[in-house]
Amino acid sequence: MKIDRIKYDDPVEFSLEIAVDRIENMLEGDYRLSKRAVGLLLLQEDEDILGIVREKEPGKINEIVEIVEEVKKHYSHPLDYVITMRRQEEARRISSLVEENTGGGKFSLREWLSRITMNPLTGIPILFAALYWGLYKFVGELGAGVVVDFLEEAVFERYVSAFFISLADSAIPWPVLRDLFVGEYGVITLGIRYALALILPIVTMFFLVFSVIEDSGYLPRLAMLIDRVFKKIGLSGRAVIPMVLGLGCATMATMVTRTLPTKRERVISTMLLALAVPCSAQLGVIVGLLGGRRGAVLVWAGVIGFVFLFIGYLTAKVLPGERPTFYMEVPPLRFPNISNVLIKTFARVKWYLKEILPVFILASVMIWLGKLTGLFEAVIRALEVPTRLMGLPRESAHVFLFGFFRRDYGAAGLYDLAREGVLTGVQLVVACIALTLFLPCVAQFLVNIKERGWKTAIAISAFVLVFSFTVAAAVNYALLFLGVSL
Amino acid sequence: MEINNGGKQRGPGRPEKESTSQGHDKIAIVGNPNVGKSVLFNNLTGSYTVVSNYPGTTVEVSRGTAKIGDRTYEVVDTPGMYSLLPITEEEKVARQILMDEKPRVLIHVIDAKNLERMLGFTLQLVEASFPVILVLNMMDEAGKRGKKIHSEELERELHVPVVPMVATTSRGMGVLRGRIEEYTSHEN
Repeated sequence: MKIDRIKYDDPVEFSLEIAVDRIENMLEGDYRLSKRAVGLLLLQEDEDILGIVREKEPGKINEIVEIVEEVKKHYSHPLDYVITMRRQEEARRISSLVEENTGGGKFSLREWLSRITMNPLTGIPILFAALYWGLYKFVGELGAGVVVDFLEEAVFERYVSAFFISLADSAIPWPVLRDLFVGEYGVITLGIRYALALILPIVTMFFLVFSVIEDSGYLPRLAMLIDRVFKKIGLSGRAVIPMVLGLGCATMATMVTRTLPTKRERVISTMLLALAVPCSAQLGVIVGLLGGRRGAVLVWAGVIGFVFLFIGYLTAKVLPGERPTFYMEVPPLRFPNISNVLIKTFARVKWYLKEILPVFILASVMIWLGKLTGLFEAVIRALEVPTRLMGLPRESAHVFLFGFFRRDYGAAGLYDLAREGVLTGVQLVVACIALTLFLPCVAQFLVNIKERGWKTAIAISAFVLVFSFTVAAAVNYALLFLGVSL
Repeated sequence: MEINNGGKQRGPGRPEKESTSQGHDKIAIVGNPNVGKSVLFNNLTGSYTVVSNYPGTTVEVSRGTAKIGDRTYEVVDTPGMYSLLPITEEEKVARQILMDEKPRVLIHVIDAKNLERMLGFTLQLVEASFPVILVLNMMDEAGKRGKKIHSEELERELHVPVVPMVATTSRGMGVLRGRIEEYTSHEN
């Protein structure tokens, strides 16, 4: 079947059509793409294709480059532009032949909703409403509050833990080994309890809200809304998506930074994801912890938001590069398909659980080993130094040790502490800030290495470690100095 | 592991059975971000990849197999791309797939609401002599906006098969499977 091909004829002496014809005839290698397409890409100055042609036709490459240079002289616009426009012209011709507009494209509710989500005046209140009801109320109060309380106390402590503790008492004669399973940091009483009774319900509810928001098509509108703020910190609105995904899981989101067009944006985003974007479980626990103390939530959100913008701004200043341009498809707002939302939530929860359960169990085992060898105490003592600087009680040092394994693990530890009532309001906020800014979890660190390379990954982690404690300490002194009680 | 080269080395006259024993024919799915590639992929392969209503969700390349008629195909879902001239890294990945893996069928998915804007890429794919099947997805949304597309006429203009579709409800999947079957049994 022979296709009528698009002619790139133009009323100039040396037209694209002549050039592409000539290049086509010179090419001898197999390019998978048609030779015509290769010729056009060469005229569009595609570096990769140029490299391939240079390899395959070393004798002809100079002549080809000369042809390209020659054609350029005959056009006032970049050739890439001319070629794309010519193709678009053809697309317009064809679509006008086959497309019929029967009217009906009336101004709809959907259209109206779409507009008000993107207009700053109405969009920002909508964003806050979504955060308040979706995150604070649903995930924080209902998930981290009511559901977790029920699962933890009414189910896990009363039945599961009790069952395994009595089982261990009767079946394992050695207290040391008993500790491994049902001790203070035991595999069942800590690792599995954190994973199933604490994190699982929070994450499930978070992913549910997230999937609904995602499928409604709200995120790209959010990206348009925040674009202006993001430009100030050297990111395009496109980077909103990895950031928002980061609220789900920063590790996954770091992989998505690959979709950002410039290296500069990718590094800034990776940095911000490692530092100032809490992941879902962490976020849920923190919102749940601070729930009921509105002032505490505001201080926490204010500090994290400030850090995000400040560090973004600084990194953008330090890293050289062009300011990003932003264009994005804005898909229509849709009513989320319930089965898609459920399937997606389920798939994510399953994936998440598969990720954390082994880490939580491993952490229990390592802590157990650490306690046997005395290493645990040594690390805790080392961590007590920054803990003291932040004005936190010494019991909270192990929360940060947990945080090394995973942020959400640390958050769960904090939740436990808070319920024992050892933290004041100010200490709670300070601990939440430190933990939010704290080191990326092991998985995220590995992805940072994979995506950004050793040097950048380690530099980011080192910076984050020092920075998180410093900010938290500063907030502690500021709050104490001002005599704020939360 | 599938051995990719098996299919590529095949001479034109070889019987089909041999080709399947050496590795399945490949179907690649391409298109702009957020036009429904992943939904289509899930429909074809019966597997599940995360589908979202925003652009740029597919970063890793998903692969699966589809059984159409009595043949098995390997299906590759690519990251979104706007043209054959890549700008972002994900577009580079997508083009690399097209160039390295020589798909037997290339399904170009477009949003029927934006036919004119998306057709340019179809033309480019045809120009590059890829074995294109054009899928006009989201026909329902286009219809709601009062757009009617004569797909037979479009087929005549482009000289490639055109399949109207609503991927989320699987409307048009049967036709697409038929077209894939026809395509791969006629050509060599």
